[in-house]
Amino acid sequence: MTTVVNLLTRAFFMSTPLILGALGEVIAERTGMMVTAVEGIFLIGAWGGFIGAYLSGSCLVGFLLAALCGLLVAMLYGLTTVYMQQHQIVMGTAIAILVTGFCTFFYRVIFGVQTTPLKIETLKVIEIPLLSKIPIIGSVLFSQNLITYLTYILAFVSWYVIFKTSLGLTLRSCGENAEAADAAGIPVTTVRFLAVAVAGCLGGIAGAYYPICIVGMYKSEIIGGSGWIAFGICFLGNWSPLGALVFGIIFGISEALGVYVKALGLSGVPSELFSALPYLLVIILTVARRQFRVPAQLGTNYVKEE
Amino acid sequence: MKSRKADFIIWTALAVILGLIVSFSFLPLLNVNPVEALQTMLVETFSDTYTMGNILVKTAPLILTGLAFAFTYKANLYNIGVQGQFYVGCICAVAVSLGLAGALPGTLVILLAMLAAMLGGGLTGLLIGFLKARFNASEFLVSMMSTYVITYVMQLLLRTVLQESKREYLKTDYIDSSVWLPKFLSGTSASIGIFIAVGAAILVWLILYKTALGYRIRVTGQNMDAARMAGINPFVQCMIAFAISGAIAGLAGFIEINGMQHMLLTDFDTDIGSYGIGIAILANANPIGIIFAALLFGVLTVGGTALGHSTDAPASTIDLMQGFVMLFVLMSFFFRKKIELNRMKKQTVGAAEGKEAA
Repeated sequence: MTTVVNLLTRAFFMSTPLILGALGEVIAERTGMMVTAVEGIFLIGAWGGFIGAYLSGSCLVGFLLAALCGLLVAMLYGLTTVYMQQHQIVMGTAIAILVTGFCTFFYRVIFGVQTTPLKIETLKVIEIPLLSKIPIIGSVLFSQNLITYLTYILAFVSWYVIFKTSLGLTLRSCGENAEAADAAGIPVTTVRFLAVAVAGCLGGIAGAYYPICIVGMYKSEIIGGSGWIAFGICFLGNWSPLGALVFGIIFGISEALGVYVKALGLSGVPSELFSALPYLLVIILTVARRQFRVPAQLGTNYVKEE
Repeated sequence: MKSRKADFIIWTALAVILGLIVSFSFLPLLNVNPVEALQTMLVETFSDTYTMGNILVKTAPLILTGLAFAFTYKANLYNIGVQGQFYVGCICAVAVSLGLAGALPGTLVILLAMLAAMLGGGLTGLLIGFLKARFNASEFLVSMMSTYVITYVMQLLLRTVLQESKREYLKTDYIDSSVWLPKFLSGTSASIGIFIAVGAAILVWLILYKTALGYRIRVTGQNMDAARMAGINPFVQCMIAFAISGAIAGLAGFIEINGMQHMLLTDFDTDIGSYGIGIAILANANPIGIIFAALLFGVLTVGGTALGHSTDAPASTIDLMQGFVMLFVLMSFFFRKKIELNRMKKQTVGAAEGKEAA
């Protein structure tokens, strides 16, 4: 029983950055913008988050710097795709290469060559009074860190905003029919650019979660595809924040399971297969799910007729 | 039409130079003089035949991964998993080379390794194309994820059946020198792999622009509905395009294994897939242009490595250079288009005015 509780606690802990990144992606993709720079945004978030937290000694500064870094990269992506109409997938790859070089180069500029990796203290768990005393649920849901709580609240808030408010309607109309939205007086390009910027902030914080909350240090391979998994979760969750929440938890469980099995060191079951599980899961679920409600103009840039 | 091609070359060259200037301007932060760095880089790169041979060594697989991405790009499909298909090619080539060397004549083993690598990569590509065609699964997502899955499978193989006889590191034994690709320049490590790669680029150009198959693929890419009306089955084209793309990526793996590394290890050429995408974009997905774009990336890689040996500039400078070059080239596409539009507007306005005057 304790194993299951530990596993689930870990699953919710691990799912946080994936959900956070996916929420940003949902917001942007609802306006028709695929943020394919997501892996790069996660990486620069991890880099900025670590540097902020290490130099100031405060996790909050780390997360703020991460959000800022994510925002800047997303704005670069938005500038080139929304305003300069470059291809979204192609631009994402270019930015990923650039960010990889940038982070490694400036880590060296700031810290020089280090023989042992620099460490920071990870973010503390906040046990919510009373609620954390409930058996099972208490430790799984109410003994997490601040970012996890905020992420779960944000999932519900963004669901409400996207589907129940006029702001949400504005967002969605840009992704479903940009021409009609434009005719109705919605500034399509501005909406898209801002949505990408929001996705950048959330992606930056999600990236910073890895050094600040999980490992307590930075290395250039720290993200290793997590950004792409968040991207996949947005697809699998049918472009809904609550869908992203559900699939985020599923991926959290699969990651926690992988870590657990590796720690057990079962002979006969290769640990690599468990490491590959989340990625394999994306493929299987993508193939198995039939009813996708893709925003009609996802991935196409909007060029206003003059 | 001619002027557009000239425009493209001039703008791209300017963007490349701007990208290099920007990335070099960061070097003073590490107390490296950028002007001296550039000098060292150029001198070290072009001073002896060994490093110049190295450029060809780096260029050959990059041509192929660039082609692999470009081929699906022409069909308006996105094979982001070139890296994974490259690894499958590596695994097949090394397995055949290790297993058959000595048992069969060297040349035959080399040919078999090449076939196996292309077959392995091609089947992986075909699978992705099939999932796209049959289940309408996003090929972008599936191919992206397939790379991670394949990377872990490769790790598993390197830890078990393919591991070196010393059982120390996650790598294979060296393959027998009888199955190495022959070298063509003495004093360098440049193998005939570069000729295979250039040949492949020409072949891809021929397929895309001179055969019915290439025509069908391009039509599907440009307008799927029009293709369907014309009796072309887009699903079949999707599978064919992905299979060929995967086979080209597999071929890149073969060239790396039998031509250069002569063994397989973990964390092997981890960026070759995304560089391929960059190269394809740089060349506007033109197979012949890809040769030159890959050559540029090859020069930057070798030059950046030389820079790292003789100054304090880290290896990440290479990524920085390639990233900025790609960014500025993509931006130059926008400005070039804008200028072209303005020119066209002027022409039509001019023509209209000319008519009025007459």
